[in-house]
Amino acid sequence: MEFLDALKIALTMLLSLDPEILGVVSLSLMVSFTAVGSALLIGLPIGALLSSYRFPGRWAIITLSNTFLGMPPVVVGLFIYVLISRTGPFGWLGILYTSYAMMLAQFVLVLPISIALSRQIFESLNAEYTPLFGSLRTSKFNRIIVLITEARVALITIALACFGRAISEVGAVMIVGGNIRHSTRVMTTAIGLETSRGELATAMALGIVLLGIALSVNIASQFVRSNFEKSTIND
Amino acid sequence: MTDKKQSLTILEARNLVLSRNAKRLLDRVDLDIRTGSITMLLGHNGAGKTVLLRTLHGLLAADSGSIIGPSPARQKMVFQKPILLRRSARKHFQFVCPGLDETTTNNWFEIAGLSAQMQVHTHRLSGGEQQKLAFIGALASNPSLLFLDEPTAHLDFESTTAIEKMINRAHANGTTIIMTSHNRAQAERLAQHVLYIHAGKILESRPAKQFFKKPSHELANNFLNHL
Repeated sequence: MEFLDALKIALTMLLSLDPEILGVVSLSLMVSFTAVGSALLIGLPIGALLSSYRFPGRWAIITLSNTFLGMPPVVVGLFIYVLISRTGPFGWLGILYTSYAMMLAQFVLVLPISIALSRQIFESLNAEYTPLFGSLRTSKFNRIIVLITEARVALITIALACFGRAISEVGAVMIVGGNIRHSTRVMTTAIGLETSRGELATAMALGIVLLGIALSVNIASQFVRSNFEKSTIND
Repeated sequence: MTDKKQSLTILEARNLVLSRNAKRLLDRVDLDIRTGSITMLLGHNGAGKTVLLRTLHGLLAADSGSIIGPSPARQKMVFQKPILLRRSARKHFQFVCPGLDETTTNNWFEIAGLSAQMQVHTHRLSGGEQQKLAFIGALASNPSLLFLDEPTAHLDFESTTAIEKMINRAHANGTTIIMTSHNRAQAERLAQHVLYIHAGKILESRPAKQFFKKPSHELANNFLNHL
């Protein structure tokens, strides 16, 4: 009964576009979009570079990014907290308990994903096309353009995977964001707090939105794939 | 005049050596390819046929030795497994042969019998169609020298016949062809000259008729009996 009542109130809050809920959702989206965008901007070229060139330190970067893939988010949060806390080496930035700190935490979490996945994709494409490029004497610049074009669907899938990972993150953003109302409260941290306070309706409303976003990411991923297949048949 | 022209060498390799992981893949290879000929490179799996073709084409760098041949732009290679971009057949062809106008492009697709498949994604073409597409991609620039690495492996009779027609057409247009095959009938049909390679070494280089009648090297003879 309690569940049904809470669900009813949650739906009412969503339908009435509750400003508190909207604020939390929009901050969550802003933080995650920024973190993922930055991670892709930096991670994809690194992935392409690691797949195409041999240089000193290459294996160190690969090992580091692979290690961070399995890093528990709370550890990442703790690590960033130490760095940006008042007494830390980057304390002078003054970003602890701000949305910037949360962006940084999510960025650190998804950057290894974008590097590792894009490296694998570019590596496999590179291996496949190297004889053709060699035979055609394709320039390095054109090779990269072709590789990116060929990998575009996979790259979009990586972006969606990164976004899914970032938006659902709770541990790290809780540590560095502090879950401050109207400032650093995002969907995941708010759900945790409201549940502990017994405010199930608010928690459920945010849970429904989060679930909707996760579902949308999944549908978008499927749509991109199937749409690509159709478009390449008729291009 | 014809004899004189035939005697011209389009590709010359001297003392080619290539090793990988302490294994010698090419062992002091010397060869001369006559202009306008079809040379068949025969040998067991792992003998070094593909490595030699790729080295001659410049895809692999030899540890030592020299290769004198046409400029890279005048050489093309068709691989055993066609390497095609993930796009329509027409767009792949346009990437491989940039600058060709629409009429010429359409003509090449007609030659390959692929006019109906121009808009089809390359990965949805059959194996035979993919290889034909790779062929016209190589032939459209009218290369002086064409390397074919088992171009009809795993293809059915119909596709093999179509590919052989394209090989003969290229040869008739003056393209010199160096190819590998594990099909004796095909080798006898197409080859003018045979190079027999074993463990990275050219053991025999003879006109095709003589080779298929009676190879001079015992290993070549054993190979031919099992081909």
